[in-house]
Amino acid sequence: MVNALSCLVKKKVTGTLPVRDEEIENLGREIRREIDTRFGHSLAIRELDAGSDNAAEIEINNLSNAYYDVERFGITFVASPRHADVLIVTGAITCNMAIAAQKTYDAMPSPKFVVAVGDDACDGGIYKGTYAVLGGAGKILPVDLKIPGNPPTPLQILTGLLALMRSAGKKD
Amino acid sequence: MASYDVRTGNAATAAVIEIFGDTAHARIAYGCGGECTISVSGPEFDRAIPDFAVRNFVLIALFATPSPGGEGHVLRYVFSHGGSILVLLREIAAKRATSIATIFPSATWPERECRDMYGIAFEGAFDTRHLVLHECYPVGFYPLEKSFANAPVTRLKTVNPADEYPFRNVRGDGVYQVPVGPVHAGIIEPGHFRFSVIGETVFNLEIRLFYTHRGIEKLAEGRNPIECTKIAEAVSGDESASNATAYCMALERLSGIAVPDRAWHIRTILCESERICSHLGDLSGMLTDVAFALGASQFAVLREEIFREHGKLTGSRFLRGMICPGGVTRDIPDGTLAGYRQYLGRFKKEFRTGLAIVLSTTSVIDRFAQTGIIRKNILGPLNVTGPVARASGSERDVRVDHPYGIYDRFVPTPRPLSDGDVLARFTVKAAEVLDSLSLIEKAIAAMPSGSVRGTDPVRDGAALALVEGPRGENLCWVEVRDEKIFRYKVRTASYCNWLAIEHAVPGNIIADFPVINKSLNLSYAGTDL
Repeated sequence: MVNALSCLVKKKVTGTLPVRDEEIENLGREIRREIDTRFGHSLAIRELDAGSDNAAEIEINNLSNAYYDVERFGITFVASPRHADVLIVTGAITCNMAIAAQKTYDAMPSPKFVVAVGDDACDGGIYKGTYAVLGGAGKILPVDLKIPGNPPTPLQILTGLLALMRSAGKKD
Repeated sequence: MASYDVRTGNAATAAVIEIFGDTAHARIAYGCGGECTISVSGPEFDRAIPDFAVRNFVLIALFATPSPGGEGHVLRYVFSHGGSILVLLREIAAKRATSIATIFPSATWPERECRDMYGIAFEGAFDTRHLVLHECYPVGFYPLEKSFANAPVTRLKTVNPADEYPFRNVRGDGVYQVPVGPVHAGIIEPGHFRFSVIGETVFNLEIRLFYTHRGIEKLAEGRNPIECTKIAEAVSGDESASNATAYCMALERLSGIAVPDRAWHIRTILCESERICSHLGDLSGMLTDVAFALGASQFAVLREEIFREHGKLTGSRFLRGMICPGGVTRDIPDGTLAGYRQYLGRFKKEFRTGLAIVLSTTSVIDRFAQTGIIRKNILGPLNVTGPVARASGSERDVRVDHPYGIYDRFVPTPRPLSDGDVLARFTVKAAEVLDSLSLIEKAIAAMPSGSVRGTDPVRDGAALALVEGPRGENLCWVEVRDEKIFRYKVRTASYCNWLAIEHAVPGNIIADFPVINKSLNLSYAGTDL
């Protein structure tokens, strides 16, 4: 049992963050600035796997580990498309996922952005022209930005998102 | 491959002689992986199947290939028994076969799959719903038939409610359904879960998958075998090295390609490192799902570091582009390997510290223990494999049972537990991280010099290969004709283990579903293909 009083009296234990990557810190500062000025301090992303081999999802998940911890820059991954500004699509759109992918996009409020992450989402990749896929995300959704890679690294994904925010700013 | 013959000479062959009689001797052949193979007629097959079940044979795979002549199909029933492999070949003419799913439950999905992909009807099957091809595909479309050239098909853009997939109907006072997916709340692959719930307790769970069906097997057909390694890597991102190894092993066996010793050392380091990476993701994920952020974060940091080390070793965080038929595409300098070994020394310390914190936190143990139990008696019938099976009392491990590469010299230590709950799966995976770590250290210490790629050419033929991937036994069958891939069959561990979740979840509350799911760590992509 933890004694509630000891929580108040005991000395707090803190330590330095064991990991730090200057490249990410610099990128993060720029992202923070864009999100603060263009997106009202927070950018909500909904991830949609439309037929990926799961490598791209793993890298997107990695954005939340302590090395990147993108939430501190204002990026949040949300559970519902209704809360999202950006839809990240991974994988070529499979026939079996096409209806669900369309419904996910339709459920998002406008204005909204679509980012294709990974070679397969960009143009169908190795599955291009085969029976099981329609092709890249652009086949059914209006793609604003493509981030190629097999899969792209967390750093490449972040760099891509920064480019998206900057181009969104120019459209105003 | 004398070492394989010794193993297969035993249990499988003996049982085949007992069941089919002495005359069967002359019909037995051995595949290039050493597996005992026998071709059987329809009546013979129907009579023999119950006998194999009585002898506790485990059906580990069932798949079809078009007949060599062009007409008809060959069904291959692959069994595992007492450390040996048996393949029953059954030629069928009019796309008709007998269902064995009531005797071997692990045949249920493969039979439905053969029906979708080739149009083969299994008489007496209790489940004839579509599996791989959803409602959007046209009726009578069989993608793996040779008459179909791989090209886009006209899909249905809307589905009438009457044509929707019929889930098992669970009715009764107070029973309600919770449909979840295919798009989930987290950053995770798509699949549908249909819970039938009474109060908070799950009464029944039915899963529906194959949303990420990308046509992997058809994609390989007709291509140059060397090119297809990248298709094998795309089966499941986090098992790129294992699936590439299985594919290359099959090619090497059927062509008689010799793989240099140094190449096998490098492959082993990569595959074991992939296992560490995958298990770390599971350990971290399980802790996230019981809201123990401290532990989750520690393992996630270590996993990121392993990803970065992978980048240094191979240029790819997912170890892609390294493993190739004949060995590996390029050498890893000894200095780089020494650097990795040094990192692993630091890793071990951090990992042990994190593990000690987790295992002494009562709130974590309370959520893990007695949650999502998989009982030992379903392991054989469903062919449950890998760390999930080892947490329920199984000792099966391909590296030990059918050693390939250098695993006969670097033998892993299976550490089975018997509780079968989330805690057992957590503990088994944590122990396997340390075991893989020690295998890597030994392989680096014993690294021989020499070339890393055999130069023998790929020939025509067919072979079966089994590897122990992070999730368990991955099987693949490769058939090469006229120097092109004729058939590439993949059966991952996830494909086998998915049905176990329908047994693990009932009796638990929905709030425990995420942690049970994570503890099984099933790949959707590796199942849907």
